[in-house]
Amino acid sequence: MQRFAVLQLTGCAGCEVSLLNAEEWVDQHELVYMPLVTSAYSIPEVDLLLVTGSVQTDEDLYKLRRAVRRAKKVVAVGTCAISGGVLNLGDRDEIRELFFAEESRYHLPKLLPRCRPIDTVVSVDQYLPGCPPTPELFMALLFDPPDFKIAQTVCEECDRKKHKKMRPAHLIGFQHGTVLPDICLINQGYLCIGVSTRGGCRALCTRAGQPCVGCRGASNAFIEKGSKKWFATIQRIFSKMTDIPAHEIEAALRSPQLSLFLSQFSDYASKEPQPRLKAKVL
Amino acid sequence: MVTLTFPLSRIEGHAQVVIEVEGGKVLSARFQATEVRGFQHFVQGVPAEQMPVIVPRICGVCSTAHHLASVNALENAYGVTPPPLAVKIRELLLLGQLIQNQATSLFIFTMPDTLGVKGMFERLKDPDLERVRTSITGQALKVRKAGTHLISVAGGQFIHPVKAVVGGMTSGIAPEEVAVACAELATSLPLACDLFDSYWELLVSLKKRIDTWGDDAPAYYIAATAENQPDYGSNIIRLMDPDGIEGDHFTAHEFRDHLIYEETDYSFAGKTSYRGEVMRANSLARVNLVQRMGTPRADEYLDRFREAFGRPAHELLLYDLARGIELVYALERAMEILAEPLDKDDTAVPHTPRDGEGYGLVEAPRGPLIHHYRIENGLIAKAEFVIPTVHNVMAIERALRVAAERYITPEGVNMELEQAVGRVVRAFDPCIACATH
Ligand code: SF4
Ligand code: SF4
Repeated sequence: MQRFAVLQLTGCAGCEVSLLNAEEWVDQHELVYMPLVTSAYSIPEVDLLLVTGSVQTDEDLYKLRRAVRRAKKVVAVGTCAISGGVLNLGDRDEIRELFFAEESRYHLPKLLPRCRPIDTVVSVDQYLPGCPPTPELFMALLFDPPDFKIAQTVCEECDRKKHKKMRPAHLIGFQHGTVLPDICLINQGYLCIGVSTRGGCRALCTRAGQPCVGCRGASNAFIEKGSKKWFATIQRIFSKMTDIPAHEIEAALRSPQLSLFLSQFSDYASKEPQPRLKAKVL
Repeated sequence: MVTLTFPLSRIEGHAQVVIEVEGGKVLSARFQATEVRGFQHFVQGVPAEQMPVIVPRICGVCSTAHHLASVNALENAYGVTPPPLAVKIRELLLLGQLIQNQATSLFIFTMPDTLGVKGMFERLKDPDLERVRTSITGQALKVRKAGTHLISVAGGQFIHPVKAVVGGMTSGIAPEEVAVACAELATSLPLACDLFDSYWELLVSLKKRIDTWGDDAPAYYIAATAENQPDYGSNIIRLMDPDGIEGDHFTAHEFRDHLIYEETDYSFAGKTSYRGEVMRANSLARVNLVQRMGTPRADEYLDRFREAFGRPAHELLLYDLARGIELVYALERAMEILAEPLDKDDTAVPHTPRDGEGYGLVEAPRGPLIHHYRIENGLIAKAEFVIPTVHNVMAIERALRVAAERYITPEGVNMELEQAVGRVVRAFDPCIACATH
């Protein structure tokens, strides 16, 4: 039995909700700290500390630094903790200005100059990407089952078939009425980046007809490399499968929806690049 | 002057309560939200069509409501009406979220207050209590999971759904999936009723112990729902006055004429009032506002509730009983919808994006939620999120003050105050991630 704690920094609690869905740990591990569900106000010594959310305020920074001292192993859970996630949208100078205009609030935690992934502050033993990671992935983290396998990419976990003859000439937007079943979303003109996104989610979104926006981050083939390499690969795949002009793909890849998750590349996310070793990523 | 600070737990997000006391007199009681992300700022410049995938990340607990409010706002801006099948599937999404939320709020967040434990995951020494704890927790997790599964089936993703798109839904629901979801809901319904029955009993004993159902004066009630029975996709916001008279009602784009919003300098969340009066949103508001729930088991509970507490019911702890009634309703209603064919083709209509303004409304678990976007050149020029928890902030603070006055006297502070603060706040089930967004 492991004693574990969940430290929630600035995030949406989606990661916690997913953990609650992975209910099987309840009898086998002891959850000693997670303010969402228990009234415990400090973290005791634990085997495992899961950190969700990103470092957005001085209070986050303080809590994180204190918490890791009491943990044998630290795991960054979810896109926010790993890269800042959705908060990266705020890392545009003009937007940051708007934030600081609010900063003078009395008795409140101070906002940091930019929101940060947790591994720019403390050392992290393992990463569990996903927005949020699925309950199955939480179970894999907590139990490390020997038969647990994930595919290299989302594409390999998706049942849709690629068609040689269906070559769209342009991208269609994300919000488009109906989607044809069983056919690859790229063939249908969607910017789906499941081709190079880490597997493990069982292709949740693409099965439902929504292009993958890459919340699991880069597959092992790219994770230790920069975002350029990854961009180039997506470009190559689209030029092989479609007639969509390269500049259209390039622009779409830089759109906010994807930049949420693109930021998992250290060179994209942070001025202090730290390549994340694939051995550490679940 | 003495300042008492109470950290909060078993609510969504980071907040605390600060009470100022001088010579046994309560000077102020404040509810402070201490986290912020700033969605209204950082979605500026985002292509409008990407909003339904980005905004669920405002909150992992209420993500479905944000997903749908966002799609509604875009549809309103583009002048599109989704087909009836899509409307039905969206209702399922909201019901899934309600099941998940009410089960979590009742049996994970507030149940510990009635049992006198720190949380439902804490191992207890007393073997009898431990047996009760593990059995409640196990059942509660099953019920809430039936809700998340319903969200997956209807929305494609279990927490941040993806299937609602401008014009409808990306697809219907296949009969195999319907069968699985139905079976799960059918086993969850008796579990939920059992849990709710024990909750009701425990709450009655808690009331005996603390000698109140939660003080505080009557208030206005606000919800986006139909008059006769619940409709979480209603496009009308309704109000009931403290005497139970239904009066004002308005659509999302008229909200500024009825609700007054003010910022505070001590919290990242502001507060809204109904023309200066304290109002309350969330479960109790809906249960007060509707005539009937419209499903058999839920109506039995509603009768029992009204017989005991009247209509409108005002006491704070009754929020929880209202949550239970809604949980039962949502399970029953979802099964009704799943009994209809949901795999037909006409799940969406085509649309042409255009610039302009759009308002999207849904009744989220915590009350009416409005997304308002101004779109220029296809990009978001301005986004406004009108959050249900913010409608409750004045009511929370007023109730905190009443509780503080009850337990603080010139002789000293009764230790029960800490529990009372937790109970008051949890009655409203606030969501801080949403409130500050
Ligand atoms: S990673 Fe996603 S689900 Fe987790 S806290 Fe961040 S936004 Fe929420
Ligand atoms: S399909 Fe892509 S976006 Fe969806 S859960 Fe999987 S990795 Fe995340």
